[in-house]
Amino acid sequence: MTKTAANIPITESDAQYYAGQYGPLKNSSGGNQTKWSFPDLNTVLISNYDSLAFGVQVRDTGNFTAHLLATSTTIPSLSNQIPSQNIIVTNTANNTIELKNINGSVIPNNQFIFLQLTDIARGDNWGSYSYLTLNDIINNFIVAYTGQDQILTRVKRTAVLFHARRAVQELSYDTLKSFKSQELTVPTGLSVPIPKDYVNYTRVAYADNNGVLHTIYPLNGLSGNPYELPIIDGKTGIPSQSSYGTNLEAAQSIIEDRWADANSNNITGDYDAYSTTGVFDYAWWKQAYGQRYGLDAEVSQTNGWFSINERTGTFSFSSGLVNRVIQLSYISDGLSYTLNSIIPKMIEEAMYAQILNRICLTRMDVDGGSKAFFKRDSYAKTRNAKIRLSNLKLDEIVQVFRGQSKWIKS
Amino acid sequence: MAINVNTVYTTVLSILNKEQRGYLTPFEFNQVATQVQLDIFEKFFQDYNQYIRMPQTDVEFASRMDHTMEEFQIFEKSANASNAPTTNEYTQPTDLHRFGSASWTVGTNSPPIEIISNKVYNQIKLSDLTQPSKNLPVAKYNQNKLTVFPDPGVYANTDVVFNYIRKPIDPVWNYTVGAVGQYVFDPVSNGVSKDFEISDSQQTEVILEILKYSGVIVRDAEITQAASTLIAKEENNSKQ
Repeated sequence: MTKTAANIPITESDAQYYAGQYGPLKNSSGGNQTKWSFPDLNTVLISNYDSLAFGVQVRDTGNFTAHLLATSTTIPSLSNQIPSQNIIVTNTANNTIELKNINGSVIPNNQFIFLQLTDIARGDNWGSYSYLTLNDIINNFIVAYTGQDQILTRVKRTAVLFHARRAVQELSYDTLKSFKSQELTVPTGLSVPIPKDYVNYTRVAYADNNGVLHTIYPLNGLSGNPYELPIIDGKTGIPSQSSYGTNLEAAQSIIEDRWADANSNNITGDYDAYSTTGVFDYAWWKQAYGQRYGLDAEVSQTNGWFSINERTGTFSFSSGLVNRVIQLSYISDGLSYTLNSIIPKMIEEAMYAQILNRICLTRMDVDGGSKAFFKRDSYAKTRNAKIRLSNLKLDEIVQVFRGQSKWIKS
Repeated sequence: MAINVNTVYTTVLSILNKEQRGYLTPFEFNQVATQVQLDIFEKFFQDYNQYIRMPQTDVEFASRMDHTMEEFQIFEKSANASNAPTTNEYTQPTDLHRFGSASWTVGTNSPPIEIISNKVYNQIKLSDLTQPSKNLPVAKYNQNKLTVFPDPGVYANTDVVFNYIRKPIDPVWNYTVGAVGQYVFDPVSNGVSKDFEISDSQQTEVILEILKYSGVIVRDAEITQAASTLIAKEENNSKQ
């Protein structure tokens, strides 16, 4: 998934944006035409092959198909689709593709080429006008803030680059919307790997049969995932070493094994009709009949627990969650897959302020008063960005407030 | 507009020949003229640097900075690398005199290439956050070559566009020998004689500078003294 950022002003036609279709484009060159450009698309075209000569597939994430149409009204279909091994992208700046010069793939004179984006590429592009790229931010900053008679007379492009990327990271942690999540089924081993671009989680929840999410809570010290498992001599308590001088490690943690086998009812105090453990029964004074004792409110929940096992690099779940479908929502740093990440337009001004503040803080030629001003400015604009991204809409707040006079059982 | 080489030569001769002070041969004139044009040409950049640090005006025709830039704009040009590269090393154009900037046509909308030293390059490549990219490239500039990073893998001399100042063409007062053995000017249109390339607003200075050198050639200190005084006066006036 690679979300795109739209050009300003918008260059895509309605068909290009909504249907992901480009063309049909006519070959009027007088001969076969092998090179075609699709410059108006926001999407950067990706082909499955990088070379027409050797025909070795290098990826399966190509994001378009091309069709050879005899007339402008021919319906694009599988029968006129150009085989993917006969197409490569030669220039990503203006989306130029090259076709293999053989029958059925090259476009003859007076015939047409038609480009269709895949559904995934089309989905990545929908909503793209609310984003701009980090490169845009960097270029805009250099034009508007640096140079002769500007605040920063002389600043290295590399410095802007560094501070812009740092700003993206920081804003990703607490300001940008957290949209990354994975749907997982908890395996019998009760552990799943930490996602590749994971920095921190925002919510872990399981989905019930209605698809409603129920938050799963962290262990918070209830159990643990030891980082090392040294094998201790039973008498001296000294770890045993291998013949190479390193501590011997146990294959499995005893704590984790016990936690995996634990009956959560013993922790949550969940009611068991056939056991009166922990319940004031009829032998007690009538006023306490049916009430419980010894409950800890923090752990009295039945959704389950998770922990991050740093030793194994996994999310581990309590045994009651086995085979449950969970949603792991997390944040990354915005730079995991491309250094030219996309930025919501809502935080554009905050980005400029952050870059300016960070650069000025490191410079000798900026006076203390200006530094203090830029710091306050950066803080205020970041706060504004956060409020904007919080999406506080009047109608939605009113809807929440409608519950203000409802009694809530405690 | 360029300065007519014949006008300069005849003016210089007129001044020198007044009171029979001496004579400047075409060969000597061509040598001195080349020297003078380069002197004035180099001074443009010194002046530009001084003016850019002074308070500016945006009143039409009054900005010294703009005026100086107009003087050398005729020498500003853009050209691709002069070699057919097989690596990420791009040789500068052969007529490059002063390097201005370079852009990277491999990137979207040809972004500028940041020129950095070897030391800085060695530092930035250590950090993930300062890695150069296709749209934010960097280059080391040495041995008249730009070594651009990231390496594009496929190379063409059109990858890099140099924006630079070229050197002015040397002025030449060419001649044929006339019927009585006199020097007859060979017009520029014949292709051998060359006008001064610097703008005609510098004509007075060109003549004064040539006179200054001519005084040395004809061994007349008075001419050198007078020319130097006038040049200094003009210089002071232009930088107040």
